[in-house]
Amino acid sequence: MVKSLKIYLPFASNELKRMMAYKGAFYLFILISLFKSFISYYLWMAVYGSSDKGVLGGLSQSEMVVYVFMVYVTSAVMVPLSDWVSDDVIKGTVAMNLIKPIDYRLSLIFRAMGNMIYSFLTPGILIWVGVEIYKVTVLGLAPVTVGRIILYLISCMMSFLIYVLFDFCFGMIAFFTTYIFGLLMVQGALLSFLTGQLIPISFFPGAVQNIFEFLPFSSIIYTPVMIYLGKYSGRMLGFALLRQAVWVVILYVLGSLIWKKVTKRLVVLGG
Amino acid sequence: MIEVNHISKDFVSPKKYPGLSGAIKGLFSNEKIVKTAVDDISFTIGKGEIVGYIGSNGAGKSTTIKIMTGILNPTKGTCRVAGIDPSRKRRENAQNIGVVFGQRTQLWWDLPLSESFTILKEIYNVSDETYKEQMEFLNRVLELQEFFDRPVRTLSLGQRMRADLGAALLHNPKVLYLDEPTIGLDLVVKDNIREAIKEINEKYQTTVILTTHDIGDIEELCSRIIIIDEGKKIYDGSLVDLKDTYGTKRKVTMEIRQPHKIKELHLAESLGISDAECITEYDKENNTLCVTFDKHKIQVPQILSAVMEVLEIKDVQIQETELAQIVKEIYNHGTVEE
Amino acid sequence: MNTCKRYLRLYRVLITQFLKTIMQSKVDFLMGLFGFFFAQIMGIAFLYLVFEQIPTLQGWTLDQLIFIYGFAQIPRGIDHLFTDNIWLVAWRIVINGDFDRYMLRPMNIFFQVIAEKLQPDALGELLVGTILVVRSLAKGIVITDPLHFVLFFVSIFAGALIYTSIKLFFASLAFWIKSSGPFLQLAYEMADFAKYPTEIYAKGIRFLITWVVPFAFVAYLPASFFLKSDTSAVIIGIECGIAVIFWCIAYVVFDRGTHVYESAGN
Repeated sequence: MVKSLKIYLPFASNELKRMMAYKGAFYLFILISLFKSFISYYLWMAVYGSSDKGVLGGLSQSEMVVYVFMVYVTSAVMVPLSDWVSDDVIKGTVAMNLIKPIDYRLSLIFRAMGNMIYSFLTPGILIWVGVEIYKVTVLGLAPVTVGRIILYLISCMMSFLIYVLFDFCFGMIAFFTTYIFGLLMVQGALLSFLTGQLIPISFFPGAVQNIFEFLPFSSIIYTPVMIYLGKYSGRMLGFALLRQAVWVVILYVLGSLIWKKVTKRLVVLGG
Repeated sequence: MIEVNHISKDFVSPKKYPGLSGAIKGLFSNEKIVKTAVDDISFTIGKGEIVGYIGSNGAGKSTTIKIMTGILNPTKGTCRVAGIDPSRKRRENAQNIGVVFGQRTQLWWDLPLSESFTILKEIYNVSDETYKEQMEFLNRVLELQEFFDRPVRTLSLGQRMRADLGAALLHNPKVLYLDEPTIGLDLVVKDNIREAIKEINEKYQTTVILTTHDIGDIEELCSRIIIIDEGKKIYDGSLVDLKDTYGTKRKVTMEIRQPHKIKELHLAESLGISDAECITEYDKENNTLCVTFDKHKIQVPQILSAVMEVLEIKDVQIQETELAQIVKEIYNHGTVEE
Repeated sequence: MNTCKRYLRLYRVLITQFLKTIMQSKVDFLMGLFGFFFAQIMGIAFLYLVFEQIPTLQGWTLDQLIFIYGFAQIPRGIDHLFTDNIWLVAWRIVINGDFDRYMLRPMNIFFQVIAEKLQPDALGELLVGTILVVRSLAKGIVITDPLHFVLFFVSIFAGALIYTSIKLFFASLAFWIKSSGPFLQLAYEMADFAKYPTEIYAKGIRFLITWVVPFAFVAYLPASFFLKSDTSAVIIGIECGIAVIFWCIAYVVFDRGTHVYESAGN
């Protein structure tokens, strides 16, 4: 265990270093990534202002503010792992990785961890603190409890695993086509819906909502944010966490199977 | 044809720090580093000359070429190519020059070579007549027809270089810049390329400037060489002169019979010169004795007889110092000793 | 006139060659097209979901918002189709020295940059834009007198030019800072703000997207002219003025940039 940590930790720290090396770009990407949240925020403000109901899709206006920005904080788990796979395939480093005694997927997951930690620290945690301050001072709500923070972080850890394990499977497409840009756009657009990034899943019609909650994607953003908002309690909370755990296992197994198939093909084709 | 007057080029870049803590430091630092790539260089090149422009990596060769081609503006000084200032009138200058960068192609990677030529014909506004005539000539000299219909990405390095050279010559430029034109090529292809360059130069009186690390290119092609080091010009003159002033060292290699007697040999002493003027090296494995000396000070027969007094010689080889050696020494010293 | 003809001819030759190369990868082409198309459809689906909750958004109906959304896609798509190579100038071509090749040819450099590539993915945006505008016409919510008809095309052209100018300006910074990709992306993504009526934003943001990075003039403002009879045609005039001014600024910066270009390898 300690030994494998020693092997894989550098993947995480290298990714951290790489991200920091961007220098000027560093602040700009943060700003860019915040645009969508601010557009969302103003749009929802206008929507609640145009509605005569105080609660839409089960969320009050104040809760929606928290939702929008906690979606941003939680999105740190969505690292561009399939991009890396595609890069590695194009450069031919995957084939080289097969020779080395390391597990390719595990090395990617560690790299993803470095990436996630970075996005979580800058600016995730600042936004988070900002949300809490705004909540208490402007909206006049009680601050979040420690227990809920812990539950939220546990849920986030699982959502990180769900996302990277899924994105690894998705990245395998790169072995079959070199142009995954189009597919990445489709994936991005779909995920923004299915994860609840764009709009809470509770806004969908009932049947669609049930399907979306069953899929693994709602576990990536929607579930941890709803836990943070305290929308789940008791058995529902347990069920939400259990569902996440089950998806981690399923996607892990699925990824292993696909990887086996792909590497076999790789060996046959000499790729 | 080309006049370069006191040109200099500075590059400014932000300072970088190593490691993770360095990356963090780099985020907040604004320190700059100024590097002078070309430092007050002047020269004039006449019509029809073939000039070798040489120097070690990072000496400023490419930067000078880029200034002459109009890619870079000089920080100081002026430059005229066929009467035109490339930095002021880039387009007019571009029409007058042809450029081949050995490391990257100017051709359309995914298209058949023939299509690249069709595009270049349009770009350089070459008339149908001239195009036909020029293609005939290029086909003969560079033998392009054997791969004319193949996509550029499928060409071998040698074929690609021939294609690139052809592409640079389609509009019959007054000046041809060649940056490492024979890099990575095998001997036969190198020879073909050099022959082609010679022929083009003879037919059209094209001025050719070439940078190279391959001394063979220079010996075969250039009547004149310019050497630069750390951005400064350190030599400008003919190849013969350079060899005469600097190439006075010779080397004689002898295969000997009685290796145990080698200790009894005190060559410098018996010839009456200092140790530095006659460097002796013994190679145990091949059983050879190698003597490097100044040809103005001493002659080969004197050395041979001095050695034969002590031991028997099986075989002898005499080498003129190669240009490569001279150039290497010039780089090491930084100047040409007069 | 002759130069103009020559450039048109050159454009045809270069683009034909480019199309030949992409025809070798039809699957990529179709996937890219589908990707953009799909992303736009999702944007519309989002609007539908929001309007499940409310009748109008600050006085705008769902149909009107869909028109604004669709209308915005057309100039964006046109710019995307023709000038996508500018992105590579910002990210790659300057920093890795590939810009050398433009400097070596006896042609206008900006022309060479855009004549090197078409971005067929943009057809996805144009398709969605056209469908949504046609839908709005069918619903009868768009004013269709001759003046509006003519200004519709003027506005689309000016809008595309605003897009191109903003891209060119930020890409040109690469000549000074090597890679200006992040800045370009920052500016470009501000276009997303202009998909909705700008009244919903705080004053600072509204000012920014109207006058600094004037995407409001590409999308929301002209679109409102075609939707509401009380909006004056002056708005299209201002759009054209902004397009010309921004184009001049961007082109001058680009031209200055080519003079300080440092190539690679140092």
